[in-house]
Amino acid sequence: MKKHILILFSILLLAASLIYGQSQNEGYTAIKGAHIIPVVGEDIPVGTILIKDKLIEAVGKDIVIPASARIVDGTGLYAYPGMIDSFCFLSLSEISSIPATIDYRETGRINPQVRSVEALRPDSMHIPITRSNGITAALVVPSGGLIAGQSGLIRLTGWTPGEMVIKSPVAMHVEFPSLGRRGFQREQEPREEASKQVIELKDWLNKARFYQKRKQAAAKNMLLQMPEFDEKLEFLHPVVNGELPLMISVHADKDIRAAIKFVQEEKIKAIFFGMTQGWKVAEEIAKAGIPVVFGSLYDMPPSWEDGYDALYRNPAALQKAGVKIAFSSQSASLAKDLPYHAAKAAAFGLEKREALKAVTINPAEILGVADIMGSLEKGKLANIVLANGDILELRTTISRVFIDGQEIDFSSRYTELLDKYKPRLKQKK
Amino acid sequence: MAKTIVKNLIFFILVLVIAPALVQADVSPTYALVNCRIVPVGGPQVEKGIIIIRDGLIESIGTIGIIKIPEDAEVIEAEGLTAYPGLISAHTNFFIEPPKEERPAAEALQTAESQPEKPVAKRGSPAFSLLKPKKTTIEALHRIGITTILAAAGSGIFAGQSVLINLNGEAVEPMVVKNPVALHINFATERGAYPSSLMGTMALLRQSFLDAAYYASHRTRFEQLGRGMKRPEYNPFLEDLVPYVVDKKPIIFTCANQEDIKRALRLRDEFKLNILISGANEAWRVADALRKTPVPLFISLDFRPPMSSEYSQKGEEEKRRAEKDIYPANAKALSQAGLPFALTSFGLSDPATIQKNIRAAIYAGLPADEALKAWTITPAKFLGVDSILGSLERGKIANIILTRGEIFDEKTEIEKVFVDGVFFPVEKKAAEAQPAAINVAGTWKAAVRSPMGELDLTMELEQEGSKVSGALTSAMGRWEIREGTLSGSNLVFSIEATIMGQTMTMEFSGTAEKDSLEGTISTAMGNAELRASRVPKTSP
Amino acid sequence: MKKMIFVFSFILILSFSASPLWPGGNLLIKNGTILTVTKGVIPRGDVLIIGGIIKQIGENIQAPPGVQVIDASGKFVLPGIIDSHTHIALSGTNETGDVITAEVDMADVLDAEDLSIFTALSGGVTMVHTMHGSANPIGGRNVTIKLKRARPSEELVVRQAYPTLKFALGENPKQANRIGTTGPPRYPLSRMGVNAIIRRELLRARTYMSQWDRYNELRKSKNPPKTLLPPRRDLRLETLAELLRGNLVARCHTYRADETLEFINLSKEFGFKIACFEHIPEAYKIVPELVREGVGISIFLDNWAYKVEAAEGIAPMAAYCAQNGILVSINSDGAERTRRLFNDAAKAIKYGGLSEEEALKLVTLNPAIQLGVEKIAGSLEVGKHGDVAIFNEHPLSAYTRCEMTIIEGDICFDRSQYLSEREEAAKRQKEPKKG
Repeated sequence: MKKHILILFSILLLAASLIYGQSQNEGYTAIKGAHIIPVVGEDIPVGTILIKDKLIEAVGKDIVIPASARIVDGTGLYAYPGMIDSFCFLSLSEISSIPATIDYRETGRINPQVRSVEALRPDSMHIPITRSNGITAALVVPSGGLIAGQSGLIRLTGWTPGEMVIKSPVAMHVEFPSLGRRGFQREQEPREEASKQVIELKDWLNKARFYQKRKQAAAKNMLLQMPEFDEKLEFLHPVVNGELPLMISVHADKDIRAAIKFVQEEKIKAIFFGMTQGWKVAEEIAKAGIPVVFGSLYDMPPSWEDGYDALYRNPAALQKAGVKIAFSSQSASLAKDLPYHAAKAAAFGLEKREALKAVTINPAEILGVADIMGSLEKGKLANIVLANGDILELRTTISRVFIDGQEIDFSSRYTELLDKYKPRLKQKK
Repeated sequence: MAKTIVKNLIFFILVLVIAPALVQADVSPTYALVNCRIVPVGGPQVEKGIIIIRDGLIESIGTIGIIKIPEDAEVIEAEGLTAYPGLISAHTNFFIEPPKEERPAAEALQTAESQPEKPVAKRGSPAFSLLKPKKTTIEALHRIGITTILAAAGSGIFAGQSVLINLNGEAVEPMVVKNPVALHINFATERGAYPSSLMGTMALLRQSFLDAAYYASHRTRFEQLGRGMKRPEYNPFLEDLVPYVVDKKPIIFTCANQEDIKRALRLRDEFKLNILISGANEAWRVADALRKTPVPLFISLDFRPPMSSEYSQKGEEEKRRAEKDIYPANAKALSQAGLPFALTSFGLSDPATIQKNIRAAIYAGLPADEALKAWTITPAKFLGVDSILGSLERGKIANIILTRGEIFDEKTEIEKVFVDGVFFPVEKKAAEAQPAAINVAGTWKAAVRSPMGELDLTMELEQEGSKVSGALTSAMGRWEIREGTLSGSNLVFSIEATIMGQTMTMEFSGTAEKDSLEGTISTAMGNAELRASRVPKTSP
Repeated sequence: MKKMIFVFSFILILSFSASPLWPGGNLLIKNGTILTVTKGVIPRGDVLIIGGIIKQIGENIQAPPGVQVIDASGKFVLPGIIDSHTHIALSGTNETGDVITAEVDMADVLDAEDLSIFTALSGGVTMVHTMHGSANPIGGRNVTIKLKRARPSEELVVRQAYPTLKFALGENPKQANRIGTTGPPRYPLSRMGVNAIIRRELLRARTYMSQWDRYNELRKSKNPPKTLLPPRRDLRLETLAELLRGNLVARCHTYRADETLEFINLSKEFGFKIACFEHIPEAYKIVPELVREGVGISIFLDNWAYKVEAAEGIAPMAAYCAQNGILVSINSDGAERTRRLFNDAAKAIKYGGLSEEEALKLVTLNPAIQLGVEKIAGSLEVGKHGDVAIFNEHPLSAYTRCEMTIIEGDICFDRSQYLSEREEAAKRQKEPKKG
C-alpha cells in the first residue's frame, strides 16, 4: 500500500513539474537585487533583469516588474551574460579514446561539405556539466585535414539537434599548412610541402570562384554549358563570396604571416584559431584586423625560447595590440573549463574585464551573433548566469543559469552518479 | 724505390685478401729515418734524430751520429720532419659490419604459457668476427696520423668484445694487436622486446651480472665435487660474461651523457667491475664523482650535446653554442681536475672533423702536449699495450708518423706513416677533394630498402660548394644531415636520427646524378639501399 | 679570553660574510600572508629558513646577518606543492618489453636536465613522486624527488619517502586502447588475466622466499650438504619479496571501483601494503571500503571521459571523498598539469565545497602523507624543510601566478629574475650581430 502511494505521489510531482516547466516558457521572469555585469555598458550594483519569454526585456536599476512575473531573488549574487565557447567538440565527442563516440573528424583532406551540427547528440553527458558552469552557447567544430568542414553555434539545451542550433554555418574550418616549427617537435612537413598546400588551398578557392561564375553565366544564358556538379566547390561558395568566414587554425609566427598574406590575397573573411606564437606578430594581426580565438591554454609552450608562460601571456599581448580575442576550451569533456583559460590569461597580464569580454561579447561579435547574445542588453536572448562571485574564478559557485529565458536544471552526470552512491555511506559497515 | 715496393705490396695484399696468412715482414725492408726531430712522448725530444725500423719494431732511436745506419737500411731523409708515435683512437666503430639481422617471424599471440619467466639478453658478436677493413678509410685515418684503433660493435646492450688493430694493410689477422680487449656495454634498448627502456636495461645488466657470478660459482662447485651434483646447463651468453664479472677483465661502458657515466659507476660499485668509460663528452659535469674512484676515460671528440642535455632542449641556437663553446672544453676541465683520459674519435667518421675537433679541444684550453699523450701513451696504458705501443722507444712497435710542423697545428700535414714498420706514403688531400660536379640542391623523393622494411623519405638538400646540408623527412621524423660532402659525383653524408627516443648516426655514401641519387646507408644495425629521384620544382 | 675572541670573530664573520655559513639555503621571507596549511593563516608574517630548514614562523622576525630577505608583501606564502603522481625527470616511462617488470627502478633513469623540472617549479611544485607508467600489471619501483634545479640527479632523491612499487589495473595493462602499440596482443587481455598474472607473480615470489629460507636454514645446519647451492638471485622476485616483507608499498593505478576492490583482496591474500590508489575515478563508489582499509587516493580533479573506464569520474569526488575520511591528493600524471595543480585544488571548493585549507592540503600535506614525507614537507612548520612557494594572489584564485619557488632555502624559480633575463636576451637579439 505504502508503495502505491509513493508511486502516485511521484506521478503527481512529475505532472506538476511538467506544468510548471511549461509555464516557465511564457510570461515574465524578473531577477531582482543582483549585482549586474552586463559586459556592454556600466555595471549595476543592485538591479533587475526582466525576462520576457526568451528575451531580455529590460536591464537596470529601477525596472518596473509586472505583477505576473516570476521573481528570482538575486540578492548577493552576480549576474553575467552566459559564456560562449568559441571552439569545442561538445555534442560531437563523448569518450575521446572510443572512435564510436567521436563525430567531429572525417577522413580525407578536403571536406567543406560536412556540417558539425548534423552530428549533434543532444543527450551528450558533457552538456549539463558545461552549462552548469555558466557556459550557455558553443561553437562546435569539425577538425582534421586541410578543409575540415563547417562549424555551427549551439545553445547548450534542447531535445533535438534542431532545437540546439543557433546559427549554422558559422565558419569554414581550415588547418593552415605549417611552414615552421610547432610545439617542442620539429616541423613535420617540409617547407616545400607546406607551401604546396597553401597553393592547393588557393587553388580550391579559385576553382570555387570560377565554378560560381560559370554557373551564374549559364543561368543567364541557356546556351552556355552548366559546369558539372562539384560537391566541394558548391560549399566553398559562401567563403569566396565573403559570406562565410574561414576559421584558420594557425600557430607559428611564420605561418601566421603567411596566413595573413593568404587572407589578404584571397579577400575573404577570416578568424584565426590557435595562434600559440601570435604574440610574436601581434602588430601585424591587429593591422590585418583578423580576430583571434585561442585554443586551450593548458598546454606546454611551443618552444623553450618562447618562455614557460608563452601560452599564458599570449592573449594579453594580442589584446593590447588591438586584436579582438576570444577563448575556447578546444574540448568536450573539459568544455566547462572555458572561464579558467580566460582567468589564466588574466593572471599573466590580461585585464580581468577583457578576459570576461573574451568569453562573452567578443565571441558573439566574432561569430556574428552579437545582436542576440554576448551581453545583458534589452532584446538579446536571456542567457544569464547567477553566481556568488566572479564567474571566471575557480572558487565561485554558479547559482543559477538561464538559457533563452529558461532556467536550466543543474543535474548532470556528476550529480546523478554521486546521488546514486551517497546512500552507501549509511550502509552498515 | 721504396715507394714502388710498397705499391707492389699493397697490390699484393689487394689481390690476396683471401690469403691473409702472408705476413708483410717477409718483404718489409729495414728503414732508417734520418735527420728528423723526434717527439717520443714520455721522453726527451731529439732535435736531429734517427730511427731504425726493422721487422716491424723500433730497433733503435736516438741522436744522429750516435746510432749508425745499418747496411741493409733504406734511408729516408726526414730533414724538416717530426716523428711522433702513431695516434691511437681507443674507441671506434670503424670497419664493423654488423651481421644482417633476420627479420623476426610474425609473432604469435602471447598467452600465459608462452610468457618467458625471465628475460633473455642478446649476446653480441666479437668485433673481430665482424671486421671488414676498408682501404679508403685506412688511408683517410693515416692522413690524420691514426695508426691504431680499437674497433667495437656499435649496437646492442652487450656489444661483444673489441679488438685492437694496427692499420697496416687490409687483411684482418695481421692487423690484430690484441683480442679480445674488453667487453663493450651500451646503455641501449631493444625495439619491441625486453628491455625496451633504459630502466629495463639497467635491470637486465644487473640480472646478467648476478647470473654470470652464479653460473661461475655453480660450475666451480660442480668441478670441485666431481660427482653427486647435477651439472650446470651450458650457457654461451654467461660463458662470455664470466671473465668480466668474475675474473674482472675490463668492461668498456659507452656513456652518451652524464647520467650514463653515473650509471656505469653505480654498476661498477655494485658488482666490483673493472670498467673503462667511453664517449663521456659530459665527463666534466660529473668530475667530482669520477675523482672519488678514478676510472680510465676514453673521451670522445664528438662535441654535439647529447639529446638529454639541457643544451639540446633549449633550441637550435643554444645547441650550436654548446657544441662550439661548451663541449670542446671537456678535456681541458678533466685535465685540470687531474683525471686521466684518452681522446678518441668515437662518434665521428669524417677525418677532417676529428682533426678539427682536436684543435678545438686545444683551443678550449687543453695543452697540446696533453692532447698528444691522450692520443698515444694514455690509451696504450688504458688498453694494457703500453709496453709495445704509445711512444717511440726501442723495442716498441714501429708505428710512426712523420709530420711537417707541430702535429695538431692546422697547417701541418702528415707526410709519411709507418705501421708495424710498413711504410705508407700519404697522398695529398687535394687528390680527394674534387669540386662538386653537379648541384644536388632541391627536393628528392627517396625510398630506403633495408632488411627491416621499406621507408619513404623526402630529402631536402642544400649545397654550398662541395658542402651539402639539409634534412630527411619520413614517417619516423625529421633527420638532419651532417657533414655532407659532394666530391665529383660522390655524395657522402651522415645523418643523426632519433628513432623512438634513441639517437643514432647513419652514414650515407653514394653517387649523384642530375636527377637521381643512389647509394648505401650504413647504420649500426645494418645497411640499407637508398634510391632517390628529384622532385621537379613547382612553379607558383 | 681566547673564547671571547673566537666568539667575536665568529660574529664578525657572520655579519660580513655574504656566503652562507650553514649548509643549505638561508632565507627570510617577510611580510607575506602565510598559509601554513596545518596551523592556520598568518595575515602578515615571516618565515625564516636556516640551513634549508624552517627555523621560525611568525611576525617581525629579524634577519640574521648575511641572510637574504625576500619581500613577500601582498603575496601568499605556502608550502611547496607536491605532486603525488607524475612521470617527469625520467629517461623512460614504461618497460613494455615484458608484462611484469618489478625489477626496474625509475631511480636508475632520473634525468635532472628535463626542462619539465623548470616548468613544474614555475607552478610552485617542489616535490614529485615520479613513476613507472601503467602499461604493465606490475611496473617498477618509483622515486620521489625534489625539483632542485641544476643539481645532480642523485641529490634530487628524497630518501625519507616510502619506497613504492607501481601496479596497474584495467584498460592500460590489458591493452584495451591499443593506440600506438604494435605487435600481437599479449596476455593478459582482460581484468581477470591482470589479476591472475599479479597473483602468479606473487606466488612465485613466495616460493622464491621459501627457497631462500630453506637454503639459509640448511646452510646454518650442522652438516650442510656439499651440493647445497643458494637459489639463483632473481631481481624481479626479490622486488616482490620486498613487497611481501613490507619493505616496499604498492601504488596501484586503478580506474574502476570493482577492480580496486579486487586489488584490496589481493593485498589481503598476500599481506602487502597499499600506499595509495592512483586516478581511481570511481573512488566515490567505494568510500566505505577505502575508509575501512585506510588507503588514500591520488586523483585527477576533473579530467575524465578519455576512455571508457574514466567515463564515471566526477569532479565532486575530491571533496566528497575528503569529507568522508579518505586521504585525497590531486596529481598531474605529467608535465603540463603539474604546473597548475593549485588550480585543480581550487576546483574542490567549487565542486563539493571543501574549505580553502582542506583544498590546499590536496596538493601539499595530503600528498606528503601519501609519500611518507609529512615530517619534512607538506606544510609550513618549524623543523620542516624550507620548501616554499610564493604566489602573487591567493593560490586558490584563478587569477593567481607563482612568483617564486624555494627548495630547502634555495631559490629555484624566481619569476622576476626570469623576466629580467628574458628582457636582456631579447635586447641582445635586437642588437646587430658583430661580424
